[in-house]
Amino acid sequence: MEKIILLTLEHLGLSTIGVLFGIAVGLPLGIMITRRRKLAGLVVGTTEMLQTIPSLAMLALLMMWLGLGNSTLIIALFLYSLLPIVRNTYTGLVNVDTGLIEAGRGMGMTRLQVLRLVQLPLALPVILAGIRVALITAIGVATIGTLIGAGGLGELIWLGMKNIETSKGVNMLFSGAIPAALLAIACELGLERLEKALTPRGLRVSPESMKN
Amino acid sequence: MIIMGPVEWLFDFWQFLEFYSDSVINATVRHLTLSFGAILAGIFVAVPLGILIANRAKLARVFLSITSIVQTIPTLAFLALVLPLLGVGVLPALVVLFLYSLLPILRNTYTGIRNIDAAYLEAGLGMGMNSRQLLFMVKLPLALPVIIAGIRLSTVYIISWATLSALIGAGGLGDLILTGIQTYDLNFILAGTIPTAVLALLAGSLINRLELSLTPRGLRTQG
Amino acid sequence: MVKFSHVTRKYGNTVAVKDLNLKIAGNEFVVLIGPSGCGKTTTLKMVNRLINPTSGTIEVMGKNIQDLNPVTLRREIGYVIQQVGLFPNMTIAENIGVVPHLLGWDKNKSRKRAAALLTMVGMDPETYMDRYPTELSGGQQQRIGVLRALAADPPLILMDEPFGALDPITRETLQDEFKRLQTELHKTIIFVTHDIDEALKLADRIVIMRAGEVVQDATPEELLRHPADDFVAAFLGKDRLSNQELQVAQVMLENPVKAYPEMGMAEGLALMKRKKVDTVLITDHGGRFLGSVSVDEVNAKHRSFNTLGEIVDQDTPAIEKTAAAKDAFNRINEEKLPYLPVIDEKGLLVGIVTRNNMVNALASVVWGDHNGSS
Ligand SMILES: Nc1ncnc2c1ncn2[C@@H]1O[C@H](COP(=O)(O)OP(=O)(O)O)[C@@H](O)[C@H]1O
Ligand SMILES: [Mg+2]
Repeated sequence: MEKIILLTLEHLGLSTIGVLFGIAVGLPLGIMITRRRKLAGLVVGTTEMLQTIPSLAMLALLMMWLGLGNSTLIIALFLYSLLPIVRNTYTGLVNVDTGLIEAGRGMGMTRLQVLRLVQLPLALPVILAGIRVALITAIGVATIGTLIGAGGLGELIWLGMKNIETSKGVNMLFSGAIPAALLAIACELGLERLEKALTPRGLRVSPESMKN
Repeated sequence: MIIMGPVEWLFDFWQFLEFYSDSVINATVRHLTLSFGAILAGIFVAVPLGILIANRAKLARVFLSITSIVQTIPTLAFLALVLPLLGVGVLPALVVLFLYSLLPILRNTYTGIRNIDAAYLEAGLGMGMNSRQLLFMVKLPLALPVIIAGIRLSTVYIISWATLSALIGAGGLGDLILTGIQTYDLNFILAGTIPTAVLALLAGSLINRLELSLTPRGLRTQG
Repeated sequence: MVKFSHVTRKYGNTVAVKDLNLKIAGNEFVVLIGPSGCGKTTTLKMVNRLINPTSGTIEVMGKNIQDLNPVTLRREIGYVIQQVGLFPNMTIAENIGVVPHLLGWDKNKSRKRAAALLTMVGMDPETYMDRYPTELSGGQQQRIGVLRALAADPPLILMDEPFGALDPITRETLQDEFKRLQTELHKTIIFVTHDIDEALKLADRIVIMRAGEVVQDATPEELLRHPADDFVAAFLGKDRLSNQELQVAQVMLENPVKAYPEMGMAEGLALMKRKKVDTVLITDHGGRFLGSVSVDEVNAKHRSFNTLGEIVDQDTPAIEKTAAAKDAFNRINEEKLPYLPVIDEKGLLVGIVTRNNMVNALASVVWGDHNGSS
């Protein structure tokens, strides 16, 4: 039991680290390409291409290049999390009503102030949704990390599947697969909640405006 | 891995493919069977279901949240969970891929129909269409582009995820990648990866084309 | 306060604003008006440097704005736009307090300021301070948009069709309210609109633009009296022009009760009875006005005379149809006339002005013509 908890935490940790790297790179990248619209297509296109590489293939290729271990997995998770974070940051910022941006600038906000006071708060729910997708993807990819010698719950699942004929194998399989599934579902629901909580109150649909 | 120049490497890879051509072809066929089997089943279930829930908000919420929860379950965990029930092999892979394919198709069918301008429906009803005629003459043709977009999304993802069915002994191109990982052999990895990518790209653009030809002419955007 | 000198702004080949020269004094309420695309917004945005001129200079409060930091400049100029642009992530108090915040006021001070401003437009601060924009009606939102521009008490305010998106009733309420505010606050205001009624109502001075150029720059009064050209006249609308210099032809009743001189006395009496009038106007067969016959005359003289032509009062005063309605009114009043026949330049009878229809015409000038174009 203790081992399961530890592996679950390790699984979450690896996924989170990958996504944090994704945020550290993807968020500024997403902001930057709103200023250089010509780059936007290229950047989003590249991250989209990364996304379509099957996870097994991505891990295999990275393994050939970087060897076995957690850091290779983390790099794969980082690469996968780029698309949802970059794309959602970009669209979230770009979709902020131009009238609001003009109002902000007209009132004497600097570009940075417009970003901080207007654009980012309004884009926050969309950016968070991107982070949620990234984390769920990461948790999924991390389960096969065991194939390239990384940690996490995949190890239990993999060993269990190899010994599926034995009841010990079935137990092991369940003790890996069930926490992995629950972890993903919990993260999904938890982050969804967080998105709602962090949505600026004025953006939530009010009872009045629903009447229309 | 031995460091080689690109030309030597290409030659080496070509030789490898020639030698293993049967395995590559078999794996590709298996991969296609798995993916399209899952997608077809997904279409047959999700499209009618989407139509059914389009007018039932509560039911829609239930089905959409169930399928989106299913979507979050890690593929390997999901495959593993159905193993004890369905055994090793093609069947569990098909079932899992089928379940994954549901969400995009269901969601797009639902929103495609929901977003039809009420004026068209009213016009249809006003001309005396019954609900079946309204569905086949108005709703489906107008929602079709959105539904097909959902099918394309599902297809591209399923082709990619089908690589993982190798992990439960269902074969497919993932088998080659897995062998590559276990033997540390780039040739095997590429022999699995490249056809997978090509299949996903081909399927995506084929469906794009299908979407274009099935879009009612009046709805196509110019240019 | 603001001075444009030879300001031109081009977008590629289109000249949005062409060699603009304009001086706006302190406390002046200037309205820029003209058809869509004539360069109003461009002119306005050049003042707070959201747009830079291609050539020429703009001075604000005596300083060339090209030498000023645009951000600092904008914080000293209020700005209201049609889309309102309230930040949906901020409360009403926070929205009003944006510029104070940018200027580094402390939170308490800017909340107090927001409360004072809300009170000024009759919105209870307790109720509204902590609401979000979506919880307000469109009219209330634009009120806040205006208050937000006033928050840091800037001497100059730019407004780009601020009431343009509102329904007509709300728009009028806000115009009235804003006019009242202006008489209390004495700001310099540059206000863009394409609604001439709004311009006439609010402006001290109206600048009419067309294709990037000023066509006329005048007070509302001057503009109505002497539109510079047909374009301006068309822009003002015909009815409005004639309302100011109302002519007799526009207030008279056509088809007065009339008769030829040969009409018999009894017939004349019957006519007056039937038409419920106490006077008939007499014309010859060419329609030329000859005079009038009253019911009293007929009653008094029907034994001695046979036809109306014999007793017609040839000194009946008449007025030309091109005369000012004001003159007709004055004569009716001063000469205690019950009516005035209206003749054209050839002396032909074309209508009549009575006390009664004069009053109606007057009322429509004073209180506005509700059947007119506005
Ligand atoms: N950013 C822009 N790029 C190109 N042309 C513009 C731009 N902004 C305005 N224009 C052109 O300049 C002219 C004046 O525009 P504007 O000042 O917005 O007019 P108004 O506010 O009077 O409707 C128009 O012909 C418009 O098309
Ligand atoms: Mg404009």
